[in-house]
Amino acid sequence: MIKIKGVNGKLVFYFESDNFIEQYQFLQDKFENNHQLLSGARVIFTGRGLDNFTHEQLISLQRLCLDYGAILNNTELPLKKTAAAAQPPMQVNADTNTDLFIHRNLRSGQKIRSEGSVVVWGDVHESAEIIAAGDIIVLGKLAGIAHAGCYGDTNTIVFALNLIPSQIRIGNRISRASGNDSSRNVAEIAFCDDEGIIIKEYNSRENLGRS
Amino acid sequence: MENGKPESKVIVVTSGKGGVGKTTTVANVSTSLARMGHRVVVMDLDIGLKKLDLILGLENRVIYDIIQVIEGECTLKQALVKDKRFPDLYMLPAAQTRNKDEITPEQVKALCDELRPDFDFIFIDCPAGIEQGFRNAIAAADDAIVVTNPEVSAVRDADRIIGMLESAGFKDIKLVVNRLRPDMVKQGDMLSIDDLLEHLCIDLLGIVPEDKNVVISTNRGEPIIMNNRAVAGTAFTNISRRLLGEDVEFPNFEDSSFWDRFKLLGRNLFSSK
Repeated sequence: MIKIKGVNGKLVFYFESDNFIEQYQFLQDKFENNHQLLSGARVIFTGRGLDNFTHEQLISLQRLCLDYGAILNNTELPLKKTAAAAQPPMQVNADTNTDLFIHRNLRSGQKIRSEGSVVVWGDVHESAEIIAAGDIIVLGKLAGIAHAGCYGDTNTIVFALNLIPSQIRIGNRISRASGNDSSRNVAEIAFCDDEGIIIKEYNSRENLGRS
Repeated sequence: MENGKPESKVIVVTSGKGGVGKTTTVANVSTSLARMGHRVVVMDLDIGLKKLDLILGLENRVIYDIIQVIEGECTLKQALVKDKRFPDLYMLPAAQTRNKDEITPEQVKALCDELRPDFDFIFIDCPAGIEQGFRNAIAAADDAIVVTNPEVSAVRDADRIIGMLESAGFKDIKLVVNRLRPDMVKQGDMLSIDDLLEHLCIDLLGIVPEDKNVVISTNRGEPIIMNNRAVAGTAFTNISRRLLGEDVEFPNFEDSSFWDRFKLLGRNLFSSK
């Protein structure tokens, strides 16, 4: 059983039990039967049941929501709150091994999607798009749109040797180009803090901005 | 007649954005190649918005069109329009009253295969956009030429088109920069050739400077290459020579040439009065 409540225009899923199969089945039935109602809904996961799920199980639950058109609205990964979250975030990508390496330029209109992190050896031109569940690292110019942590993970980062994107999204945060195109030609990194997205010069001693 | 020639090449000329000079490029490069004695056919695939026949000055000689060939109403030979000024130049006109999704990429391929034995170059004039018309146009092509203007909107579309061509398996895509104004580049008001190449990362095939004569020739239905004094004419001739593998130097429009200084002098004299 999962309790579903409407809170502030969002749907909050309370995961009470730790039986993953049962809860997954329940959620799937709910989505199947209320397809119209739930598609486009903003969804938040919570409840102590989540504490006992593995990361893969959480991802498959989130995947299920996305497949039925729901929008994930957790401000942070549910896993982070729990004791199990002690494992570093990079571990996730290493486990699933879905990282993407691209050895060419991404041109306008081209779109890359990855369930892990993305590394581009080349430029990302204006109006090209990269969407990743993990980090986005561009070893060149990033002038297009980058969305890191597309399932809601705000601990992901966007990095580029020349960071001049038209839009950066990390988790559910959005930041647009300021308009003054001062290309400083230094490596910069974008990450989230409590306020929003911060962009600053990359400094290897600062631990990727993840304090 | 010339049998021992290497196999024919199908070249699509495309741009994404409209109005950058695809048709002008096709018309002039093909006539220039035909003038050098190569057997050339130009195929207008901008069905519904044809203009190649106009620019070549062959509008009133058109009897059948490409759709009628595909639908079997006439043979390919009947539909080809021969240019009387250049005996080696033929044109396959587009239909004006039909639209682009009435033909398929396979049909275009079949047409090109039928034309290959008789011609050295088959030029395809691609419509603007990235829809069905574009897919038809690139289906049969061996090589692609992307035409762009030195302005951000055209460059953005060219970037998109190059991306799509690369995904379709095209290698060695060539760039033609049309309507360059060296004076504006010098003042920093227009993208320079270096800017364009740095952004688009493909080989440069030609630079065509802005030239009033192009408008005049187009309105008359005469290719600009027939005007020996037009800078654009020389540029198009150079493009055809490079297509043939010749190593033609790029004139440095951006340096102040004698001609530029002469013009500047004239302007200064004029304004001081």
